[in-house]
Amino acid sequence: MPGDREILRTEGLWKRYGEITAVADMNLRVYEREVFSFLGPNGAGKSTTVGMILGLVRPTHGRALVLGHDMATHPWPTLKRVGAVIETPAFYPYLSGYENLRTLALMLRDIPPGRIDEMLELVGLRERGRDAYKHYSLGMKQRLGIASTLLRNPDLVILDEPTNGLDPAGTREVRELIPRLAEQGHAIFLCSHLLHEVQAVSDRVAIVKKGRVVSQGTVEELLGRGQYLRLRADDMPGLLRALDAVPWVTGAEAVDGYVRAAVPVARAAELNGILAQQRILLSELSPWETELEDVFLELTGAEAVA
Amino acid sequence: MTELMLAEVYKLRKRMMTWTVAGLLCALVLLLYVILWTTSVRVATFGNHNQFTGIDLRHALYPHWAPAYALQVVGSFGAILAMILAAGSVGSEYAWGTVRLVATAASGRIRILASKLIVVYGLTAAGVLLAMGTALVFGFVIALYYGAASFGPPGAVLLRGEAAAYGRTMFVLAPYIALAFAVAVVGRSTLAGVGTGLGVAFIEPLVDGLMRSAGSPWQSVPKYLLNTNRQIILFQNRLPAVLPRLGGGRGEIGAAHSPLVAGLILAAYTVAFIALAFALFRRRDIGSAA
Repeated sequence: MPGDREILRTEGLWKRYGEITAVADMNLRVYEREVFSFLGPNGAGKSTTVGMILGLVRPTHGRALVLGHDMATHPWPTLKRVGAVIETPAFYPYLSGYENLRTLALMLRDIPPGRIDEMLELVGLRERGRDAYKHYSLGMKQRLGIASTLLRNPDLVILDEPTNGLDPAGTREVRELIPRLAEQGHAIFLCSHLLHEVQAVSDRVAIVKKGRVVSQGTVEELLGRGQYLRLRADDMPGLLRALDAVPWVTGAEAVDGYVRAAVPVARAAELNGILAQQRILLSELSPWETELEDVFLELTGAEAVA
Repeated sequence: MTELMLAEVYKLRKRMMTWTVAGLLCALVLLLYVILWTTSVRVATFGNHNQFTGIDLRHALYPHWAPAYALQVVGSFGAILAMILAAGSVGSEYAWGTVRLVATAASGRIRILASKLIVVYGLTAAGVLLAMGTALVFGFVIALYYGAASFGPPGAVLLRGEAAAYGRTMFVLAPYIALAFAVAVVGRSTLAGVGTGLGVAFIEPLVDGLMRSAGSPWQSVPKYLLNTNRQIILFQNRLPAVLPRLGGGRGEIGAAHSPLVAGLILAAYTVAFIALAFALFRRRDIGSAA
């Protein structure tokens, strides 16, 4: 369960590059022990937002506050409490995985020597830790990225496409790792295109399009769970007419051979009774299950998940 | 900032480029020594008026003058290697995308650049000592071969002179290091830094010559460029007349400035290049393309 302590807050965050607005009026909140997913098609402004959160990109307006500190003006020492893998992990190719983490530990200070091996063990790189990074597969690079993120035991973990390049087993490990990290008290800020994974692990989700948040809320809220029914009858036009006449049915539409009706699931039996009185016999009545991918595509207008 | 410097030393120590540059420097000193030694064996007299003999040249290669000659090599060709090291130190971070890693792990952007610059300068200082050591060893081998080796400690005057020459050489390297470093930051690339550095190192002496022969007002411009002022400073390092000066003779430089003014000009260049790099790195976004 997410806690009350606010780890990240963005206040009216804007970033413009000349005439191009990359991020517009971004207002986000992320709490401890929460998995917050930040979704959007390519070029939606996700990386720019993450850059501003990390103090790498200067906002045109607004602020990104991590643990109450403005990251544009006072990123240090707050950055020490933020671990991030942005897009493809980047490390020194001529150093081994261990040496890359050692370099990071030297910069961060106060990292116990044993922690490097601990992190390599956690991400399954203990055996290959002494190999040069340039010989790593994409999946191994991702694992090292996650290890580097956790090395500093951060309050806020930013993971941008953490399963990119991982095999199914690796993807599953990361999917299991994310909620575990949240349970340990970390706040997770997750950017991913694997919407099925996101739906499975997230507490809250924000969807961005062209730099603006178009929807934000819990996964349940976004999916409208418990708010829609799936109905089917032989007389579909009659069903739609009958639903139209019920005052507490706030909407009904034909979708893929079914009718999606905006009705709380708790009133399904009551609705069935009303329809039966009007001789509309249902062949199917169930809660309408929406996938995050459907919501994402609908909100962003994307043809396919980018 | 100590932690950043330690990390930087760790990275550079593990990097092949660092050892390649050090190896090249030693090889360069050795090569010039071998050329001069073989010349000393093959020619009886040389110079404009045949005023030098092969024996004069051979004596100049003995350990007494070895550090001074190594500093001549470093002051000229060594600057190129130092620029490669400086540009590589910062440019590679952009090429590999690790600039984001460093920027999110280090306590401030100014400290990042400062630690890099200090470490590069420190490694250059170590490289110069290595070149001096290489020349000393080879000078000793030559002296030993001719039965002229002396095992006595060097005199205090000689040591003071060599320390001063070492200081001057490190001083003239500073603006070149700062230039390559700054251009690598501006261009976000090692190639930009190295390319500009090489361009300045090789083209500036040619442009100098052209400007001097072009007459007024061009002839006074070289006085304010890097090469002339570097040579003015390096001419303060004592060297036997029989050994060729690298980077041109006194006549080519002309009566430009006093060493003090030359030093101030080089210092101004150094400060300006460093200020440019720091100002840009501090303000500029580090985006997805680094």
